[in-house]
Amino acid sequence: MAVITLPYKYLERLTRTDRKTILDNVALIGSDVERIEEDHADVEFFPDRPDLFSPEGVARAMRGYLGIETGLSSYPVKPSGIKFTVDPALATIRPVLGAAVIRGVSFDDESIQSIMSLQESLHWAVGRGRSKVAIGIHDMDTVRPPFHYIASRPSRGFIPLDFTEKMTMTEILEKHPKGRDYAKIVKDFPLYPLIVDDDDHVLSFPPIINGERTRVTIDTKNILLDTTGTDKRAVSVAVNIICTAMAEAGAKIESVEIGGIQTPTLAPAERIVSVQECSRLLGIELTAASMAELLRKMRFGAEPAGADTVKVQVPCYRADIMHDWDLFEDVAIAYGYDRLESQPPKTFTVGKPHPVQVNAALAREAFCGLGYLEVMPFTLTNEDVLYGKMRRDEKKGVLHVMHPISIENTVVRTELLPLLLEFLTLNRHRELPQRLFTVGDVVDSCLTYQQAAGVSTHLDADFSEAYASAAAMLHELSIDYTVEESSDPAFIDGRRGDIIVDGKKIGVFGEIHPAVLNAFDLEHSVAAFEFDIRAVPGYPVL
Amino acid sequence: MAELTQNEKRLLAILEKENKADAPHLAGLLDATSEAVVQWAHLAGDKGLAMVERVVAKEFVYTDEGKAYAQNGLPETQLLRFILPETTLADLQKHEAFRIGFGQLRKKGLVKVEGTSVTKIPGSTTDADEAALKKPSDADPRTKDLIKRGILQESETVRYAINITPAGLALVKQGLDLRGESGTLTRDQIISGEWKDLNLRKYDVSKLPKKAYPGKIHPYQRIIGEMREILLEMGFTELYGGIVQQSYWNFDALFQPQDHPAREMQDTFYLNETLPLPKGYEKVKAMHECGGETSSTGWGGVWKEEKAEQCVLRTHTTSVSIQYLANNPNPPIKAFCVGRVYRRETIDTTHLAEFEQLEGIVMDENVSFGNLLGILREFYNRMGFESVRFKPSFYPYTEPSLDAEVYVDGIGWIEMGGAGVFREEVTAPIGITYPVLAWGLGVSRIAMLRLGLKDLRLLHKSDVAFLRETPSLRHTKGGI
Repeated sequence: MAVITLPYKYLERLTRTDRKTILDNVALIGSDVERIEEDHADVEFFPDRPDLFSPEGVARAMRGYLGIETGLSSYPVKPSGIKFTVDPALATIRPVLGAAVIRGVSFDDESIQSIMSLQESLHWAVGRGRSKVAIGIHDMDTVRPPFHYIASRPSRGFIPLDFTEKMTMTEILEKHPKGRDYAKIVKDFPLYPLIVDDDDHVLSFPPIINGERTRVTIDTKNILLDTTGTDKRAVSVAVNIICTAMAEAGAKIESVEIGGIQTPTLAPAERIVSVQECSRLLGIELTAASMAELLRKMRFGAEPAGADTVKVQVPCYRADIMHDWDLFEDVAIAYGYDRLESQPPKTFTVGKPHPVQVNAALAREAFCGLGYLEVMPFTLTNEDVLYGKMRRDEKKGVLHVMHPISIENTVVRTELLPLLLEFLTLNRHRELPQRLFTVGDVVDSCLTYQQAAGVSTHLDADFSEAYASAAAMLHELSIDYTVEESSDPAFIDGRRGDIIVDGKKIGVFGEIHPAVLNAFDLEHSVAAFEFDIRAVPGYPVL
Repeated sequence: MAELTQNEKRLLAILEKENKADAPHLAGLLDATSEAVVQWAHLAGDKGLAMVERVVAKEFVYTDEGKAYAQNGLPETQLLRFILPETTLADLQKHEAFRIGFGQLRKKGLVKVEGTSVTKIPGSTTDADEAALKKPSDADPRTKDLIKRGILQESETVRYAINITPAGLALVKQGLDLRGESGTLTRDQIISGEWKDLNLRKYDVSKLPKKAYPGKIHPYQRIIGEMREILLEMGFTELYGGIVQQSYWNFDALFQPQDHPAREMQDTFYLNETLPLPKGYEKVKAMHECGGETSSTGWGGVWKEEKAEQCVLRTHTTSVSIQYLANNPNPPIKAFCVGRVYRRETIDTTHLAEFEQLEGIVMDENVSFGNLLGILREFYNRMGFESVRFKPSFYPYTEPSLDAEVYVDGIGWIEMGGAGVFREEVTAPIGITYPVLAWGLGVSRIAMLRLGLKDLRLLHKSDVAFLRETPSLRHTKGGI
């Protein structure tokens, strides 16, 4: 999530209203106010609205929402006459380039900070950590057009930002903090992307670092924006968001010629939408006129075009408008969520529990009747608990997660019993007897199903108790079973039984082996059992 | 007034006749020990029915030595009787009482020794000493002397004098049930009818019993159960599905772009397993790449089959609902699912890598975003949260989207869950043409508030004492 710092004075000047009005309403356009400080507020915006990642963007939206200035903001773009060449060798490395000239900026320390943080938020939300889009901002008066986006040998050197010594691009990837952070995006290519001016001065090594030469300072008046990446749409959205934010702050935007095309245009896209479709989706009565008005409040250009249609101009910075319904959400926001009539649907339906849960509930009821207390262990565990301590072989169908967070959570449970023994360890200091059960999901290969397990520990817990409890549970669930001597090493030889249904082992019961008790650090005997609930007659096929 | 025990009643009955008596005497009459009688008297005394008077008496008792002297006379008396006119000192020395008695005779000046002869002083007698021995008295200095000589001992005896109070007397006059008491009611007594004459022992209800711990459902499971009940009452069908899901159903079918950060290894648990893509996956591919046949632009780029085949631990139960919709495309559909979901988060007091999610969907011909708000309001109201409000939000697979907040006294507005209408990019590829309202909430958040837990892990690594002490019925107020 992007948390944006909004300085009140600047925001009030841009929005043309007081801070209280802004703060009272900013959540209603889709945000969370994180902190309210004396001179600024920190507000979190959603990742689908990168156009709100700057005070300028927020002010533009709030002016519309508060009715101060509605409809489309238009941003005139003049050609700068500047050209940018693109090296065809970049086609397989980092093919897309966007650029613009931004004239007449007036920076102070705060506004430099603000544009830097917009740049970082865009890297995160649109750029996917710079791999898809990376943005560079340069003092244009330090370099000479035309500019060239080239694929360069990694041995080429320049002075990177925040350094005083010349470094090769290879060295930058190894030594510069930004180089180390983003090296993985380019390091496998034989040539690296580089932006130079006509005198071969380095502006930028995208997506890693700018050159020190073009550093933006409070004296900077004119900016060259470069945006490189792998996705045309994302690159153009980033350019549009930065250019329109700077234009809101008072700068003039000029286009650059790339491959014979003037970019950016900052022109809106057009969508024709149905009023009826919107009314039905939201559950409110709308006319073309009222819908258009609501859309203008959200800074779209919108005019009725017939009884059921509205012609919408989508501003170039609204990257999230992919589908008509994206506009309908804005209609709902402008209308106000709290004004929407909230009635449950009228269609008659009958509730139906899932048979897996019905059977689980029956098993719980029977366990409680036997005096067992329910516990709900985690489903992520490790091989040592499931197999090592239990003296069992690792199950074939056990799933190992590929990047576990810790050695405690490496596999998904295939049995419940080991987790119950772990519970007894956790509760060693608590009063005996302790009888615990759990009913829940286990996984074998990619199949999830439910098992039930119980443990009982006290001075006299033994085989007979395990057998009696298991038999009672199986009886309550109408499972027709036979018992055979078991060879499960988790139990004592001669004090263990396999539960057999239709010739297949579906469970086990007995007295836990003392070596297992030692492994779990338990001091009293444990009567235990576990079975597969799928043995219940009529159980659904999963 | 507390019930009288059988023994108190027997005591009072005796006291009615005796009026005032010593404990040993009463003990004899009641066939009990004095100590027991005193204890009963104290119990009756607490009820104002009897009075116990503690009388301390001083007594002189003989030591073992003294006992012999009381029978045979003091050693000096014995020697005095032995001395005859011819008696020599040597004769006297043979007498067993000589060692003690001779000194006393000399000290008291009762004999005269001349050479080897011993003679009585005329008129000498030990009668007064003997009298002091037989009848010791505080006033007699000779008694003190005998104590000093270790012949007598002073001892204090405590005696309890018990009498009945007027209230006790009145009670006895009313009549007391003096039948014997029984502890256990036996089978024989029940079937023979003997029970009719039994006086069953009464127990003191002010004493706490020994703790008994019933087997019971986990308090968290109870909260899940309550939510299930509400949804079943609201006409929803329950779903169940696997915790291992293909990325296809967990992400792609929900229009989550393949380069979305949530799909990265650091946020999702991937498994070294793949499953073949279902029939019709090409529609999902087309939707991602260019928006299929809808008004959508799609995400652009190339959608890769192998990314979709990869299995993950489901990050939401929406992966289950979307498959249900794909298999049941005809309206109306109202379904919900509660189940464990997984996020690759570092575990701490408020974050778990696995937690329960509850999710519901409604698909019908004319359902609207407003209906979704209505369902949520109804659900949260039934959970006990009276004030519910909605605000805009963002979820990759819903549009419009919202967050629901409920008001909790003493805490304020709390975010409870997200909701929205499935994007057409989600519904179109699986052949759904009507709006699908979807909403989800974190069950553990409500559990944490209700159970007053500071650490979410305690839901899954519970202290047995906490489970035993948490009552099955918890009175909730305002949802908490």
